[in-house]
Amino acid sequence: MRVGVFICHCGNNIAGTIDVARVAEETRKIPGVVYATTYMYTCSEPGQEEIKEAIKREGLDRVVVAACSPRMHEMTFRRTVEKAGLNRYFFEMANIREHISWVGEDKEFNTRKAIDVVRMAVAKVMQNRPLFSSSFKINKRVLVMGGGVAGMQAALDCADGGLEVVIVEKSQSIGGMMARLDKTFPTIDCSICILGPKMVDVAQHEKIKLYAYSEIDEIKGYVGNYQVKIRKKATYVDWSKCTGCGACMEKCPSKNAYDYFNFGVAPTKAINIPFPQAIPKKAKIDPNYCRQFTKGKCGVCAKICPTKAIDYEMKDEIITEEVGAIIVATGYSLIDMDMLPEYGGGRYPDVISGIQYERLLNASGPTAGHIERPSDHEEPKTIVFVSCAGSRDKSIGIPYCSNFCCMYIAKQAILTKDHISDSQSYVFYMDIRSPGKGYDEFTRRAQEEYGVHYIRGRVSRIYPKGKKLVVRGADTLLGTQVEIEADLVVLATAVISNKDAAYMAEKLHISYDTFGFYVESHPKLRPVETNTSGVFLAGACQGPKDIPASVGQGSAAASKILALFSGETLESDPAVARVNINACVGCLKCVKTCPFGAIKEKELRDGRVVADVIETVCAGCGVCTSTCPCGAIQLQHFTDNQILAEVNALCLI
Amino acid sequence: MTVEKLKETVLDTLKDVELVMGYQMGFDALHATPLFIRKKEDAERLIWNPLCVHNLTTYLPSLKKSRVGVVVKGCDSRTIIQFLQEGLITRENVTIIGIPCQGIISVRKVLKEIEYEPVEEVSFNSDSMTIKTLKGSKTLKIEDVWPDKCITCKYPTPLIYDYLIGEPVSFDRGVEVSQVIKELEGKSLNERLAYWQKEFDRCIRCYACRNACPLCVCQDSCIAETREPHWISQRLTLNEKFMFHMIHALHLAGRCVECGECARVCPMDIPVNILKKKINLDMKELFGYVPGVNAEDKPPMYTFNVDEVNIKEHGI
Repeated sequence: MRVGVFICHCGNNIAGTIDVARVAEETRKIPGVVYATTYMYTCSEPGQEEIKEAIKREGLDRVVVAACSPRMHEMTFRRTVEKAGLNRYFFEMANIREHISWVGEDKEFNTRKAIDVVRMAVAKVMQNRPLFSSSFKINKRVLVMGGGVAGMQAALDCADGGLEVVIVEKSQSIGGMMARLDKTFPTIDCSICILGPKMVDVAQHEKIKLYAYSEIDEIKGYVGNYQVKIRKKATYVDWSKCTGCGACMEKCPSKNAYDYFNFGVAPTKAINIPFPQAIPKKAKIDPNYCRQFTKGKCGVCAKICPTKAIDYEMKDEIITEEVGAIIVATGYSLIDMDMLPEYGGGRYPDVISGIQYERLLNASGPTAGHIERPSDHEEPKTIVFVSCAGSRDKSIGIPYCSNFCCMYIAKQAILTKDHISDSQSYVFYMDIRSPGKGYDEFTRRAQEEYGVHYIRGRVSRIYPKGKKLVVRGADTLLGTQVEIEADLVVLATAVISNKDAAYMAEKLHISYDTFGFYVESHPKLRPVETNTSGVFLAGACQGPKDIPASVGQGSAAASKILALFSGETLESDPAVARVNINACVGCLKCVKTCPFGAIKEKELRDGRVVADVIETVCAGCGVCTSTCPCGAIQLQHFTDNQILAEVNALCLI
Repeated sequence: MTVEKLKETVLDTLKDVELVMGYQMGFDALHATPLFIRKKEDAERLIWNPLCVHNLTTYLPSLKKSRVGVVVKGCDSRTIIQFLQEGLITRENVTIIGIPCQGIISVRKVLKEIEYEPVEEVSFNSDSMTIKTLKGSKTLKIEDVWPDKCITCKYPTPLIYDYLIGEPVSFDRGVEVSQVIKELEGKSLNERLAYWQKEFDRCIRCYACRNACPLCVCQDSCIAETREPHWISQRLTLNEKFMFHMIHALHLAGRCVECGECARVCPMDIPVNILKKKINLDMKELFGYVPGVNAEDKPPMYTFNVDEVNIKEHGI
């Protein structure tokens, strides 16, 4: 066996704290290594050429590159060795950057560790076997989870690219958070006026199938071939008959239902259509409030409905859709104001959240666009906005910035002045974060043209005083305490992930961070991919994001899928589990533990039962290999012998 | 009389099955040995007494496709339940003849008492046994020569059976954790390591413990003897022996029904069952699971849950 080792300086990233020349020198002493060299940037074109030439010149049949993380360049070098005629699995990467040079400062220590890591990689590569991928057919349909602006954009772009799309939206209408906004910054154009046409496009696009008020029950399969079970939740209204006339909503006697669309700003009817532009524009009964359900009699809507669409007996329905890729665009939630007791959130009716204020400003909101105090319906004259209400607050476990609050507060303050010309708005802020195009000019306009009073400092307490609310805080620029007697207080509540975000991530086999936001494959270079092939991210489910960024991600995810689906087949990853039928004793423990259902039992001609891996379903997680008592099932490219060789290289010398 | 009833039941069972497994006298009066009954007349040799120490269920997985009958004690019946949980046998193919048991003897302990003299005759009374050797006879209380498993026994009556010979008995001797484990738990890591190094150093890698174990499913594919994967070499060093016993113990985590066969058959008298018993205690704590008690249970190592109740991995 002739192993060649290429040690990268990575400029000073590696060579700065590792003596690469010594690593090369020590590497040459390892049995099997016939060539070892260092190079400034191995990943560069001349660097890769050097590898190809050395393979030919030195007759190498195995290659080790000691450089950065395999996440970064494993694919690069696999292609390099393949071009030089070797099987791409005759390559190993020793990570001496992320694992060594970046984390340790002691050059002597680092160098010794680097030698060990290279020795392990050499031991592994010598145990490697050639592996070959096979190709499999793909189903070129796309599932989009979430019908907010990101999901809609992704769906439209995929559909325009010729792919069939299935959108699953958990609420009654698509549109998401953007449908609830009044105007959008920094252009102050009407949110629903620009979103509405997009919603109509989604509804009318012949390639798009929409499941509203539905949830994902189960996802099975793998890239190119997913089976998705969709639960169409019972609406108690037959949507094939409902025309959205709204007669039921008018006559419904139950008037105190919680209005999810309006974030509870005002109550709604037990049967309702959330907003005039809703798509689909169909009614739904909330059984928690409907008298037919709570008291067992009423039936007013059933009597009034001109198309006899009401069906109190309706049950959830499960539908299976087959798709080849998934775009997760499940959006975000906001913290409950109860989490901010010092601001009286949830206790004082005139302390409301930013999104509730948005509904007060909105012409189709519960107040028809008139700003009024929830307590006495009077027009407020002094309005205080509190930014970072929960955001950037380690004490409640939200250390991150919610991204768009600075901008929407400026917008809401401007709109307030438009609505009530003799009003005065105050904004308590920590920093004004307005890095987008035209954003900073916008916040300046709020201050300079609309006279919004910006106070740099945090609010310590809000308490009622007569009909008013006293907002006490610090003005850190003046170095004084300030107290403002406000008629209405608006809290820019922190953005959080959806309650079921982690649960969904487990179903999708994608990673999520400690806050429940989904983790992209690379923070800079693969922002919409996940580490699970075939699953992509768009919008705020990945982290707080404003509309342009969400739309951008929606399009990006769509373009990734269009590229993925440009051929008829995909290549399978051969680094999956494989059963040695001679060693398999047929105990079938692996069948029981496989989280992907990728192993089934197979009867051999002699009647013996053994385990059998479905190559395309196997995700290469390795649970089966640690379950198998006799080592008969082995993860290719990570076999026991390959790992033992590494352990021995590290421990036995 | 139990034996008469047993013979009757066995003969009855033999009508539907190819083979019934029971006990017969062995090479001397102190040893019983397994009896494989295929014909009526074989049943004449059946015995039942505290010498019937073997866990006969060990043979069941290899007979998975045949219809067989088997004689079991309370402890042996747990093996059958574990087999059923793991799908290693088919319930319809097995006829279980259960016998409530008051405790068996440890041949090793008896031999020690009689100073390894050749045995001429053994007789049993209700709670004692008399052994006649060339040097005279000696009466021992059976309780004093119980193997470890009888001291902590909780299931004297079989938990699963088709026929029960005799009246069910039930007792809890109130010993939760055996003395050896308690002592070992009190020791430091280094002391425990030293203890096991001393014990395993005697191992001759005969694999009797593995071969007698009813739940060692790998048979000839045992990882201790394969090159692919090559976990341990064939050398007789302490490290290799230690590794073998660790693998054996871990493969039985949450599966060992504590029948004690591994320790019984060890020619070097290594208490290999202790490791497995200790792991079982941990498994009970972590997963609230006791192997071989309920056929409907699912062994915790046969499931894949992202979040286990007693293991905090994700922190959220």
